[in-house]
Amino acid sequence: MKPKSKAMGRVACLLSASIASLLRGAGSFDEHPYSLSASFKTPMDTLAGLTDWAQGINYVYAITTVVVAIVFLAVSIPLVYAIRRFRVSDEEWGTLVPPKQVHGNAILEFTWTIIPVILLLFIAVPTWQIIFRQPEKHQVPANAMRIEVIGHQWWWEFRYPELGITTANELHLPEKTPVYFEISSADVIHSFWVPQFGGKMDALPGKGAENHLFFTTPVLQHPEKKGGEYYQGQCAELCGLSHALMRFEAVLHEKAEFERWATVFHNPPVVQTDLEKKGEQVFMQCMSCHTIEKTPSADLEKQLLAMTPPAHKAGPNLTDFGSRRMIAAGTRHNTAENFHDWVHDPSSIKPGSKMVSLGLPQADIEAVAAYLRYSTAKTY
Amino acid sequence: MSADAHAVHHTVTGIDNRKFGMWVLIGSECFLFGALILNYLVNRDRGLVGPKATDIFNIDITTLSTFDLLMSSVAMVLALHACQHREIKKFRFWTAMVILGGIIFLGFQYFEFHHFIHAGLGLTTNVFGSSFYLLTGCHGTHVFFGVLWLTSMLVTSFIRGKEWFPSVQLEVAGLYWHFVDVVWILIFTVVYLFVYL
Amino acid sequence: MAKCLPNTGVISWITTVDHKRIGIMYAVSAFFFLLCGGIEALLMRTQLAIPNNTLVTAGTFNSLVTMHGTTMIFLFVMPLSAAFFNFLTPLMIGAPDVAFPRMNALSYWIFLFGGLLLNFSFVVRLAPDGGWFNYANLTGKAFSPSHAIDFWVFGVQILGLASLIAAINFLVTILNMRCKGMTLLKMPIFIWTTLVTQVLLILALPVITVALVMMTFDRTFGTGFFDPAGGGQVIMWQHFFWIFGHPEVYILILPAMGIVSEILPTFSRKPLFGYTVMVYSSCAIGFLGFAVWAHHMFTTGLGPWAQALFSAATMLIAVPTGVKIFNWISTLWGGQIRFTTAMLFAMSFIAMFTFGGLSGVMHSSPPIDSQHQDTYFVVAHFHYVLYGGAVMALFGGIFYWFPKVFGYYLHEGMGKAQFWLYMLGFNLTFFPMHFLGMQGMPRRVFTYAGDQGWNLWNLVATSGSYVTALGGVMFVVNIVYTMATKKKKAPADCWDGRTLEWSLASPPPEYNFAVDPEVKNLDDWWHQKYTHDGRRLTPRYQPDVDPATKHLPHPSFWPIILAAGLEIVAIGFFFDEVGHYISVAGLVVTLLATYGWIFEEA
Repeated sequence: MKPKSKAMGRVACLLSASIASLLRGAGSFDEHPYSLSASFKTPMDTLAGLTDWAQGINYVYAITTVVVAIVFLAVSIPLVYAIRRFRVSDEEWGTLVPPKQVHGNAILEFTWTIIPVILLLFIAVPTWQIIFRQPEKHQVPANAMRIEVIGHQWWWEFRYPELGITTANELHLPEKTPVYFEISSADVIHSFWVPQFGGKMDALPGKGAENHLFFTTPVLQHPEKKGGEYYQGQCAELCGLSHALMRFEAVLHEKAEFERWATVFHNPPVVQTDLEKKGEQVFMQCMSCHTIEKTPSADLEKQLLAMTPPAHKAGPNLTDFGSRRMIAAGTRHNTAENFHDWVHDPSSIKPGSKMVSLGLPQADIEAVAAYLRYSTAKTY
Repeated sequence: MSADAHAVHHTVTGIDNRKFGMWVLIGSECFLFGALILNYLVNRDRGLVGPKATDIFNIDITTLSTFDLLMSSVAMVLALHACQHREIKKFRFWTAMVILGGIIFLGFQYFEFHHFIHAGLGLTTNVFGSSFYLLTGCHGTHVFFGVLWLTSMLVTSFIRGKEWFPSVQLEVAGLYWHFVDVVWILIFTVVYLFVYL
Repeated sequence: MAKCLPNTGVISWITTVDHKRIGIMYAVSAFFFLLCGGIEALLMRTQLAIPNNTLVTAGTFNSLVTMHGTTMIFLFVMPLSAAFFNFLTPLMIGAPDVAFPRMNALSYWIFLFGGLLLNFSFVVRLAPDGGWFNYANLTGKAFSPSHAIDFWVFGVQILGLASLIAAINFLVTILNMRCKGMTLLKMPIFIWTTLVTQVLLILALPVITVALVMMTFDRTFGTGFFDPAGGGQVIMWQHFFWIFGHPEVYILILPAMGIVSEILPTFSRKPLFGYTVMVYSSCAIGFLGFAVWAHHMFTTGLGPWAQALFSAATMLIAVPTGVKIFNWISTLWGGQIRFTTAMLFAMSFIAMFTFGGLSGVMHSSPPIDSQHQDTYFVVAHFHYVLYGGAVMALFGGIFYWFPKVFGYYLHEGMGKAQFWLYMLGFNLTFFPMHFLGMQGMPRRVFTYAGDQGWNLWNLVATSGSYVTALGGVMFVVNIVYTMATKKKKAPADCWDGRTLEWSLASPPPEYNFAVDPEVKNLDDWWHQKYTHDGRRLTPRYQPDVDPATKHLPHPSFWPIILAAGLEIVAIGFFFDEVGHYISVAGLVVTLLATYGWIFEEA
């Protein structure tokens, strides 16, 4: 059987990993990708919770880890001891007089029925504490910022009703602010999850099936840096072919910076060069699915929404595309090369992608790249 | 299944294996109908288009068909009694009455479905309709198989002659029939009567 | 017709109604499907060995995920458990056969055809890809227009029917056909866990049946039970699925617990510690198993009260389970432990199952679960429970009862090599998955980026899966070697066992017991061999008699024909034009077979 040291080592390993992660928070990413340290400092670390909600989870998690470790020791030590102590050789076995035929012991059995109940209370009470600390829909503070999160195959739409903003795959948030997410889906079930901001919440399709999530955004870890801090999110429910590639980024800003982002968001695209002008024309072909504020594509969207029943555009809103760090739902960096590959053949990057390849000639792709990557870039 | 247990004469519980098996199946069926009824209750008011329950239900007719099914259960008791007392004519007569009761019930159901479809509630009209047809259709299928079963026994009785009294087999069929009847009473209450609460 | 069927050869296996032969067929089929599921697992692990791998496409990976889960649950662990139920139940309770021998054959053939239908999907390149829990509405016609999902829906429907028939059969067998003197609390513990498993099957299967019918209606007839556009709710599928799916977890683990509870006493030469409490805890686990389904749905927005109640119920299950674990350790305590392969597997079960159980306790807490749900932490958890737990115990059972079934011991050296390869490979694969989960790697991703910090643990996990595969090869070699050389013949009571099957020759005769056994004690066979102070007695082995003097149920063709009829009904749903003709033809075959069955002399 398992030697004792192995069992102990395993617990120690789990414990130290948990504790180390609890203490640390998200780290830099310069190590070798296969190194042990890189394997415990990851952008999706569930133990590096920053919000009140995430830290509540980690509080229960830490207690549970200790309880579970105690139980594991209480099982593995006697188990390993019994196996070693009472082993007899194959030759001897069967020839010996059988041991005392003990059928049970009521007191012992009662004891190990009661002790787990008590231990479980140590998990249950903080669990319930955290569950009931999370406000329900009607308890959400009035000053909380409301954000609608809509899952699509395979990208995320974020709407800020109070700010009149609709964007995709990049969730901008002010620091130290209560935010209230209304999570739903336009097609199949997705799950909205930024591990460092807390647990996940499923995005269900259908009227009245919206889910709610509330937390207060954390303080900036490096306030001196401009342009926001990036936290990774990912869809956590199997939602079809490209489920693995349905990522997004949450960008945390200093409050004033967030205000600026929300203001400049509404600026029309700045079309300067000839290439950008050509791109603006090419983009007309993308208009039936994509919208850029203050352009004809936005007028088209208004017309579609005025129909009965209202029709929604299938693709993400690209108003601030130029200032997004990633494209293709947080899976590729926003470079000219990646942009080209994506527009040229979306399903080669994202299997089953609903975005069609328009078969644009090379020059047109370059033009629309220039338009989208530079004209829509907002400085804040 | 009827002939399988012949080798065993004695059972621990004293209940014939076949009868015991039917009781267990009925336990399982309770959960089957439980799930269907639950689904109906959840979806009853969720239909977005098409008629609602109160628009199309006809309680008078359904009460009649419920009465019919109840009476067929009475006939079942009498058929079993006759079979156990080796009264061939009564056994055949009452079995035929059970079958008739089942067929009349199915006729009512056909009429009802026909009427509902004309009133604009098809299988795919809305989730209320789908759940309704799934639940009552599943029950109707059970009645149909009961009719088939008892008809097979009646035909066999004529083939095997006047000395064939399959008491245990008929008792097993009777258990099934009574269960299907009880389920209908539950459906009648939950589906047809609760709407008017 | 039935009377002149041969006793050997292929026909005899097709028409057999002997519970021992059916048990063997279940086991052989289960291992064939294990091979399928294992290859699927290896392909997935290979794909995930390195980031951005392109060995398989996203679509293929989703199919592999779906089919691996479905195969291992419905086509490996359940039928292998059924193999043990079949072979052992009548022998352990001292019965000549099961209550309904032909229905027993029927359930096997339905299972086999269902499994083949499910796997046939690979041949036509339409393997289901909606995950083993097949969540609506991804699996609706709008998002999965091909017949791929239909293979899953009909496959599982058919397999469920097979399990239901078997469950009714075993429940009646156990309650009705025990030998003289065997009261409920003198039944071997394996019979008890079998009994509870059958009850769970009987009550849980109809719920998934209803859900599958609803999904069939949605996909084939255009209803909208799970379609939000027409007022349906996607969440309903999840409730139905898990009301079945959580008892299903105990359906998988309870037989394994029973097997371990038989092996540990034998090789410790002590009775099971706290037998009565073990019985009650099995019942408690089965009962609570129906009250916790929503813990699979903690992230679907249940609201605080449902979360609190379902988490409490879930934690409560840890109590009877914990009692079992300590009772197993107490069984070992003070015993004379022999390290046979079977015993190694059984002891490892305690450790691995405890570990999986403890990570289960962790995500019984909804806040923790909201981080763990749908990550590799959950994958690690249920593999510790179902693989480190159920599968290790089932292998222990194979090594323990193989000599009884075939009359020859499996090779112990190869068995131990397999055990250590399994232990090493298993822990190497699944232990790092806890880390992957804590580092946020979601389940069912066909690939991952290289900058996520998941590279190392994925590589380790993949290497572990190959070690496990080596263990599997070792097992196949062992079986082939044992049956080819037939070196070590096993006597009737080859392990100094405690239950009735050891009073029979190895392999047991077709008629089981020549003399109807009568028991006075729990572990009656042991008490026939030893006095209370350990002096040896001479037990009375079952004599050999002429099989002709025993009334045996006749072999029959009808079970396989009836099963084929049902399969044809399902196949009809895959053809759009002529489908309903095929289905009706299948119904006719089924009906005719039923009549043939009824009028055949058993």
